[in-house]
Amino acid sequence: MAEVVFSSWGRNIIDNRKGGEAKPASFKLPVTYDGERPLSAFIGWDGLIVYNKDVDVPAMVAEYMKRVQTQYVCGRCTPGKKGTRVMMDALLAIVEGRGTEALLDTLTDLSGLLQNCKCTLCPSSAVPVLDAVTHYRDAFINYIRGAKSLSREYAYIDKYTAPCMDKCPAHIDIPRYIEAVKNYRYDDSLDAIRDSMPLPAVCGRVCPHPCETACRRTNVDEPINIMVLKRSASDYEWQHGMLPPMEPKPKKNKKVAVVGAGPAGLAAAYYLALEGYPVTIYEALPIGGGMVAVGIPPYRMPRHILQRDIDIIAALGVEIIYNTRVGKDISMAELKEKFDAVFLAPGAHRSKPMGVEGEDKGYKGFLTGGIDFLRNVYLGLPSGMGKKVFVVGGGNTAIDCVRVALREGAEESVLVYRRSRKEMPADVWEVDGADAEGVRFEFQVLPTRVVANEKNEVTGVELIRMQMGEPDASGRRRPEPVPGSEFIIECDTIIPAIGQDADLSFIPADFNIDTTKWSTIVTKYVPLKGADGKDLKDGMGNPLSRTLITDCDGVFAGGDAEIGPLTVVACVGSGHRAAKVIARYLEGKGVDLTDDERMEDILSYFGVYDKNEKVSWLDGTHRAHQAEIHGKERASKGNYCEVELGFANSQAVREAERCLRCYRVAMVAV
Amino acid sequence: MVSLTIDGKSVQVEAGTTILDAAAKVGITIPTLCWLEKVSPTGACRVCAVEVEGVDRTMTACNTPVKEGINVTTQSPNLAEIRRKVMELMLVNHPLDCPVCDAGGECDLQNSCYNLSVNRQEYSALLERRQIRYDWPLIESDPNRCILCEKCVKVDHEVVGCDAIAIVNRGEATIIDTVDGKPLNCEFCGNCVGACPTGTLISKPFKFRGRPWSFTRVQSVCAFCGTGCQIEYHVRNGIVERVTSEDHTYNNGNLCINGRFGYSYLNSPERLTAPMLRVGGGSLAPTDWDTAFAHTATKLKEIVGRDGAAAVAGLGSPRVSNEESFLFAKLMRQGIGTGNIDSEAGLGFAQAQAQLQHRFGFTGASKNLHDIENAEAIIVFGTDLNAEATNAEYRVIKAATKNDAKLILVNMRDVKLRKFANSHLKYTPGTELQVTYGLMKALIEVGNLDPDPTVKADLAALSLAELATASGLTEELLLDTARLITGKSRVTILFGSDVMRASDAKNKVAALADLALLTGSATEQGGGIFPIDAKNNSVGLVDMGVTPADNGKDFWGIIQGIEQGSIKALYLMGCDPTTFPENGRIRKALAKLELLIVQDIFKSDLLELAHVVLPAAAPAEKSGTFTSGDNRVQSFDKASNPPGQAKADAAILSELLIRIAAGPASSIDPVKEIPVAVPGYAAAGNGLTKKVAVKAGAAYAPIAKPAAGARPKFQMLVGPIGFHNGTSTTRSENNLTVSASGYVELHPTDATALGITEGANVRVSAGGGSITAAAKVSQKVQPGLLFVPSHFRSLNANALLQGNCNLVEVKVEKG
Repeated sequence: MAEVVFSSWGRNIIDNRKGGEAKPASFKLPVTYDGERPLSAFIGWDGLIVYNKDVDVPAMVAEYMKRVQTQYVCGRCTPGKKGTRVMMDALLAIVEGRGTEALLDTLTDLSGLLQNCKCTLCPSSAVPVLDAVTHYRDAFINYIRGAKSLSREYAYIDKYTAPCMDKCPAHIDIPRYIEAVKNYRYDDSLDAIRDSMPLPAVCGRVCPHPCETACRRTNVDEPINIMVLKRSASDYEWQHGMLPPMEPKPKKNKKVAVVGAGPAGLAAAYYLALEGYPVTIYEALPIGGGMVAVGIPPYRMPRHILQRDIDIIAALGVEIIYNTRVGKDISMAELKEKFDAVFLAPGAHRSKPMGVEGEDKGYKGFLTGGIDFLRNVYLGLPSGMGKKVFVVGGGNTAIDCVRVALREGAEESVLVYRRSRKEMPADVWEVDGADAEGVRFEFQVLPTRVVANEKNEVTGVELIRMQMGEPDASGRRRPEPVPGSEFIIECDTIIPAIGQDADLSFIPADFNIDTTKWSTIVTKYVPLKGADGKDLKDGMGNPLSRTLITDCDGVFAGGDAEIGPLTVVACVGSGHRAAKVIARYLEGKGVDLTDDERMEDILSYFGVYDKNEKVSWLDGTHRAHQAEIHGKERASKGNYCEVELGFANSQAVREAERCLRCYRVAMVAV
Repeated sequence: MVSLTIDGKSVQVEAGTTILDAAAKVGITIPTLCWLEKVSPTGACRVCAVEVEGVDRTMTACNTPVKEGINVTTQSPNLAEIRRKVMELMLVNHPLDCPVCDAGGECDLQNSCYNLSVNRQEYSALLERRQIRYDWPLIESDPNRCILCEKCVKVDHEVVGCDAIAIVNRGEATIIDTVDGKPLNCEFCGNCVGACPTGTLISKPFKFRGRPWSFTRVQSVCAFCGTGCQIEYHVRNGIVERVTSEDHTYNNGNLCINGRFGYSYLNSPERLTAPMLRVGGGSLAPTDWDTAFAHTATKLKEIVGRDGAAAVAGLGSPRVSNEESFLFAKLMRQGIGTGNIDSEAGLGFAQAQAQLQHRFGFTGASKNLHDIENAEAIIVFGTDLNAEATNAEYRVIKAATKNDAKLILVNMRDVKLRKFANSHLKYTPGTELQVTYGLMKALIEVGNLDPDPTVKADLAALSLAELATASGLTEELLLDTARLITGKSRVTILFGSDVMRASDAKNKVAALADLALLTGSATEQGGGIFPIDAKNNSVGLVDMGVTPADNGKDFWGIIQGIEQGSIKALYLMGCDPTTFPENGRIRKALAKLELLIVQDIFKSDLLELAHVVLPAAAPAEKSGTFTSGDNRVQSFDKASNPPGQAKADAAILSELLIRIAAGPASSIDPVKEIPVAVPGYAAAGNGLTKKVAVKAGAAYAPIAKPAAGARPKFQMLVGPIGFHNGTSTTRSENNLTVSASGYVELHPTDATALGITEGANVRVSAGGGSITAAAKVSQKVQPGLLFVPSHFRSLNANALLQGNCNLVEVKVEKG
């Protein structure tokens, strides 16, 4: 178990240099940087963590400040631009043997003055410097007195990040795009977004915005409305009839096939096309967008706007072949033969069964699943829906089903969920939206039996009331049926919407591509372990740091079929990484993750946001909310008009002005 | 309202107000350096740091909104130390070339250091010098002097919308540079120079012309376009060496290239300096004023006596003052007794004014320029505001980018406003009428409007689909555009020369007025209707009566009269018809005159034909008033000396009036006469004011039938560009530095078809004449449409035009 030699992280000083009984400390950091090289030190916005006593702290801090100043300081405020330069020169003078003790006072003085900076980057970068000068003063003095460093050279790897940017699965440079909106530069904002997100109109509308849960403005008053600002940038281009500025690099001769025109496939295609690779996407459906097109309702994601994002990608030279199911219309072997690389991003479009009595009887009115219902509606196919619709489930798909049912003319639209409202996995605003439109909710009930008449038509559903049981081993209380509480609700349509997974039957066995019991594709990963010796995992239980390379050479996988059903933004992040890995593979540059990608994964595990941090700033401003169409009429039959209307531009600028621009730089010594 | 306490004083301000503004309200000045009121707050310098009770760090007053109940401290030992140290950091490696820095003596950095007692330097860093950009035209950039306040970049982006400069690099190497690192290539408005607090961005023509304090600063009014910007002439030894504008002016200190750099025409070697006479068949010879006046008066009286007053005609100038236009009209109409009086405004602007006055009761615009900023929707129809009224363009940009106005650009070209527009109706040249009716129909449909039943019925008879097709647009686009306007109570309409100088201009202006009725623009509560003309006093000229009298001839009538021999004498005051349409014909006509009086500031081709040459003073060299396009009457005083013996037009006209009408000198006092004689004008102090009353209940005009006809293969549009104003600036060395000659702009499709490449010569011909210039291949025009700047006398594109129309069918070939 790696022992911490010194740490000032989180303003909590642990100093084990003097010997004696070591004070324990543990951080969510891997013991190795890449599965091999030990992580010797970590330096960043909240201090220093030194794992190896041989680390030359003054040299490391000097290098840190040099990188901050020359690579990341934006120059947009005086103390930041000039102060970090004075600090960098002072630190370099010391480690190069030109220093004086007075310089240590200057460093201390400037660390204080930097707290008056415009944003967080420079003040946060002064934190480890001040910690080093305070706690490693002797090491600095030795340098000043002419000593030469005896410790071996470490490799330093840095990463520029921010809490929101770290939390975003696509790692969009959020402060940059918000800053651009603040400066009335929507084009620059969109450039920043597109660097990591080629579906800005989509993720400006339907993203669950995990970034906002890591917004440091929350520690002052309320989080920034990051998602709608993205929509503002994207809508600006569209509403001003502007052409996107991207130009692909000259065409390369190695070709890539992508399976699935969903967010992951489109994102991979976009970044590969920009690199000059000819990309062909095979899409089973007649339209692009994947689950966005056949899962998310048009009142949340207007189709012409989704199509604009797709058209922009296609305009880069990406060919999308619709109505072509890989495994049926074209084989995997053929793809492998015709293309130099294949990216599998088929999504998760298969409904999971509900497990109630009668569901397999083929009753008229019992639909196969929420996702199938929505797909049929959006594609204009018969949906099988009647007048009294009963949807089972608590996720966003269930909510979409009840809201779409209203727009398809249901007289009654009921959602049943086995837990309480606040435990629903669906986004709160989606649940509220359904409520406002007249959906009826039945909480803490579980369907037990489908009730049908002699014509095999659904006439109702039998339910049983649930109550919370005793906490289990994990401490979580599970709902349990209340004996004898069964009752029947009349309905003519039952839609189970309790989840979906990927249909991977198109992958031939002889490709030797490993899959999991959750029907996801297994990809290679960096064997990172924590101090406790356990493998590091992401939030979905997958290995933390994955290369997206399958067991079959030249075949890569991403999106819902690799991660497990998740979000648009996660799939975009996955597709983006896949594009980078595939490009390196095609260029023969190896398929290892880059330092930037490794640091991305390490930091996302470490956590860049600290909800307990006391952020000194004048509070009192409120998060801006976009305008919305209210009233039940918005859900009237056939009304798929967009419900949320985005910001007025002036409102977007005001909201952007609230951003604290929480950039920070982490660096590791290995 | 929010209540807070600042330095113990309580203050109530609106929510969203910054601490800086709240402090100013109670007379507390917080030091600032990077703050510039007219752009968004930057918070770069950190000098305005204040303490807020309960907040552990300082907050910057310039960009922190107030909060109820907070207690703010703006002066404390801690703040003084922070500000001093921040300033010390700002001075780390700042060059000490103040003695030779152009900003020396007017440097905000110097002032801030002095005010904040920055009298020592605790910090140092290794010195890295950045390259000084000597290779930019008109503007020089020394990044070493830059404090990165961002004012220049923000003015460039937020006010001008040009985006020529940006912040580049990282860390200490961060500088302001062009976006691509190449030499500056922009509009050269110089507003960045105006905003720069240090000597980083300086005016090259002004460099080393003198220390700032050695100039006399004279407040004046810009004499180029009709937006009437307030400027200051910096004068030494009677010569204007620079023009600036302060942020507290009506135009917020924003100028265009002409306003800021165009002054160099004043010092042009082509200025007329002495009166000249051609006696008999000889050549022009210099003379003295008395001889010139005597000869002119005698000759005029002789012709009037022999052939009657109708044998005399006069063409005035939209450049001269109201008083001078008034005197010119008086000289013509009363002194000589002729109604043959017109000017270049007679090519379209004056007629449009007459129409609007008839319909709505006013000349000029119905609102002031600043009202544009509050518009909810703006229609910019047939004008390149960047070229015709730059400061109006700045207002439109502000409304569209900061105040959520929807912008509709109706223009056959992609002019600069295109990038701010929510809708661009890039119509087929010549189809202004169809576009206007199309928009009206779409508005009625989308907005469910119910205008006058006759108009509604007439419009109902037209098909939106046909109107759209005829104008090269789609029905959907017209409907989408109407959706941007519908429901808005403040819709502003600006329209310019592409309407007023179109063929069938009368019906087109009438239709536009109808559109203004439909949108409510031309009412007291509406967003305003702004006819745009590129000259500074066109409205004043019309108001003062430099327009044909009921019994008089207009411009083309006068030319015809000369050709037919009925007009023997022509008085040109600041008017050069050899730069007008059909000027080949005009030159021939002028040669027939018995008496051609040329009163002007420049030598020109007219000198070959003139019998009398009277050298005039330019606006900077005299005093008077101008009426801006939006009816602000502004007075200005003499700033510099006219060259040689040149005199103010007013002095020349007064003298001739005395000699011709034989009245006493005391009878000539335009300042007293105008309020009596000119409707809408009143005396105000030493100057004048004008009041606009918008007539209520204006009626719709009958719907006109759009002219049908095959679209010519090629048409040439001749019009102004942003780098020049009229022909004056083609005598300004500064303007010529960035725009030396004309060109032919054509669409890539046409260029390819004709085998013409960028920069190659193109020959354009029409009506027997032709011009040849370098090709500028650009998507901004459309296939079949060429654009050629109107300013350049040597290219003389106007010669190919027919009548008033700025669009002409042409033949195009490789030159």
